[in-house]
Amino acid sequence: MRSPLVNSQVDTNPIRLGWKSAGLLGVVTVAGLGMFAWPLLIPATEDTSAITTPFAFVVLLPVLVLLVLAQIAERGIDAKALAILGVLSAVNAALRPLGAGTGGVETVFFLLILAGRVFGPGFGFVLGCTSLFVSALLTAGVGPWMPFQMMASAWLGMGAGLLPQRVGSRLIRGRWEVAMLVAYGVVSAYLFGAIMNLWFWPFLTGPEMGSDPSLSYVPGAGLLDNLGRFGWYTLLTSTAVWDTGRAITNAVLLVVVGPRLLAVLRRSVRRARFNPVVEFEVDQTSLESVGSPRP
Amino acid sequence: MVAQTAGRLVVTNRTRGLHPGAWWAWALGCAVVASRTTNLVLLAVLIAVIAFTVVWSRTDAPWARAFRLYVWLGLLIVVLRLGFRILFGAKGSTVVLWLPQWRLPGVFSAVTLFGPVSAEAVMSALQSGVQLAAMVLAVGAANALANPKRLLAAVPAALYEWGTVVIIALTVFPQLAESVVRVRRARQLRAEAGRGTHLIRTVAMPVLSDGLDRSLLLAGAMDSRGYGRSSLVRPAVRRASSVMILAATLALCVGAYGLLDTGRTPWWMGLPMVVTGLVVAVVGLRWLGLRVKRTRYRPDRFGSREAWMCATAVVSAAAMMVVDVVWPVAAFPAAEPLGWPQVSLVGLGAVLLLLAPVVIAPTPVMAATTVTSAAHATATPSSAVLRPTISTEVGSTDLSSAQRYTALIRAEEAS
Repeated sequence: MRSPLVNSQVDTNPIRLGWKSAGLLGVVTVAGLGMFAWPLLIPATEDTSAITTPFAFVVLLPVLVLLVLAQIAERGIDAKALAILGVLSAVNAALRPLGAGTGGVETVFFLLILAGRVFGPGFGFVLGCTSLFVSALLTAGVGPWMPFQMMASAWLGMGAGLLPQRVGSRLIRGRWEVAMLVAYGVVSAYLFGAIMNLWFWPFLTGPEMGSDPSLSYVPGAGLLDNLGRFGWYTLLTSTAVWDTGRAITNAVLLVVVGPRLLAVLRRSVRRARFNPVVEFEVDQTSLESVGSPRP
Repeated sequence: MVAQTAGRLVVTNRTRGLHPGAWWAWALGCAVVASRTTNLVLLAVLIAVIAFTVVWSRTDAPWARAFRLYVWLGLLIVVLRLGFRILFGAKGSTVVLWLPQWRLPGVFSAVTLFGPVSAEAVMSALQSGVQLAAMVLAVGAANALANPKRLLAAVPAALYEWGTVVIIALTVFPQLAESVVRVRRARQLRAEAGRGTHLIRTVAMPVLSDGLDRSLLLAGAMDSRGYGRSSLVRPAVRRASSVMILAATLALCVGAYGLLDTGRTPWWMGLPMVVTGLVVAVVGLRWLGLRVKRTRYRPDRFGSREAWMCATAVVSAAAMMVVDVVWPVAAFPAAEPLGWPQVSLVGLGAVLLLLAPVVIAPTPVMAATTVTSAAHATATPSSAVLRPTISTEVGSTDLSSAQRYTALIRAEEAS
């Protein structure tokens, strides 16, 4: 004879990062950035095998991502969050081939940004991982690049969740919210392109020995030296076409469908009632009826 | 896949094929061997070994056909590698092609393109390009041979939720197409016509809302069936497992740094640290997974064949690392001076050992000859309509072709 009362407050953050998860995420983010930026950090060695050690990162990076994901799920995740994650991952996997190969048109990120914005940083991080993984299983194929794509898009989704919700006491909604997301989408498109280039750069151009390279990687050269060369490389090979294409796609999609999608996603947040707090209220009249035997 | 003997259902890995983890272990072994050498002879043999194993042991499953894409990707990597080398200048002693050097105008004047192409530069680009291609092919082989659904079923308990997400996504993916068809039919019934951004409002948004609404229904069904119920774990165990996860992460980070900077770090900071981190991670994940209590339908066993696969991968990788240290000239032949690379017998043996799956793995069972024909033995007419060509498999069908034809007609009349 107890009536469960569900807390009426709307929880917009279905996957909360506790301090343990957040700390671990910080460690893995720093380590992951190091693995992306290995060409700039590698010390000077005469040994040609120095270039082969980064292959180990292709194995180590997914292990780190799995450890973070296991820690995030430590106390279990609301089934509604799991179901929404699954649906959004499937939609993202379906969107991805739409733009494949056409001048950098990349349709994966805008939904990731919007979902991260609505459901929070933890959800954005996980969605970045799962949608890239699902799309690899379904369409794009699993390869050595996948852990790096997963990590980078997980950061992208998390970053969208960390954008400010309010300025002072005013909620950022409507036109300003879309403007902020578009700015984030453009910046993140270029950053994504740059770091995806960075870890693969030495594999594609090869370490240059002896001569004076202008765009190739030189093992053990100074950080600024290699950074300058990498800047030229990424500017010439991808910034003009691929990254700009990605930035334009992000901006256009965020402007055109952003407001509607935000509304749809926020509606599902209200309907879902994540992590309900159930309180039991004792009904006095029924207690009395239990106490006294019925005639 | 499923053998029925005297009314008892017997499922073995002999009929189901190897555990997918065993294929991934083998592929990882191939990738490690490829990463430890730039010897073109060894890499060519390795690529041949990988391709032969795939052709020998693959089934006719859809994912098994993906290997061709990886072959094209490998070729693309080699071509890109050579192209970038020539584009960004390929100086060296033996010039084989004179291209004019071109300094970019304006702000890009720091950059020069093209210039004389030397055989040595082409050789070194070829070495690293083929090495990368071999690693991509190894991953592609694992993709073609390991059943992704069985791999998902083998996800550790600590990652149970995320495995569930992937399974939901894989299930929802085909439903999206069906949802699009439904929404478009509704549009046609309303005689709506419109293009461009109008389509987003009338097709894309309803499909997404439909998907999200259905996901909440699914979540309700999952909740009522006890999905995601955690069993009680002692706080001490939970705390200890979190500490272990953190320790494993730190150990892996330190180990990664040790691997990268071999010159200035003590020996234990490299591979030993990484191995320690991996072991702690496995134990930590197992403890974290204690909260998930569930039974498995048709558990996938890691048997002796799988153990042998792992063993060959480990032995091959270790042998290649030994060659690496003892005889680096054979593992990493210099591009200058030009010449045939020396081949060490141990290295060649390590590569050839990776052919072991041809002997270890059971002969692949083609789905078209067993499962579908078994299913069609008891097939209802409607499923015969769906796939009439496959039901002509002989051996287990009870219906004669004339009977099947009449059944087909009747089913069509009924619908």
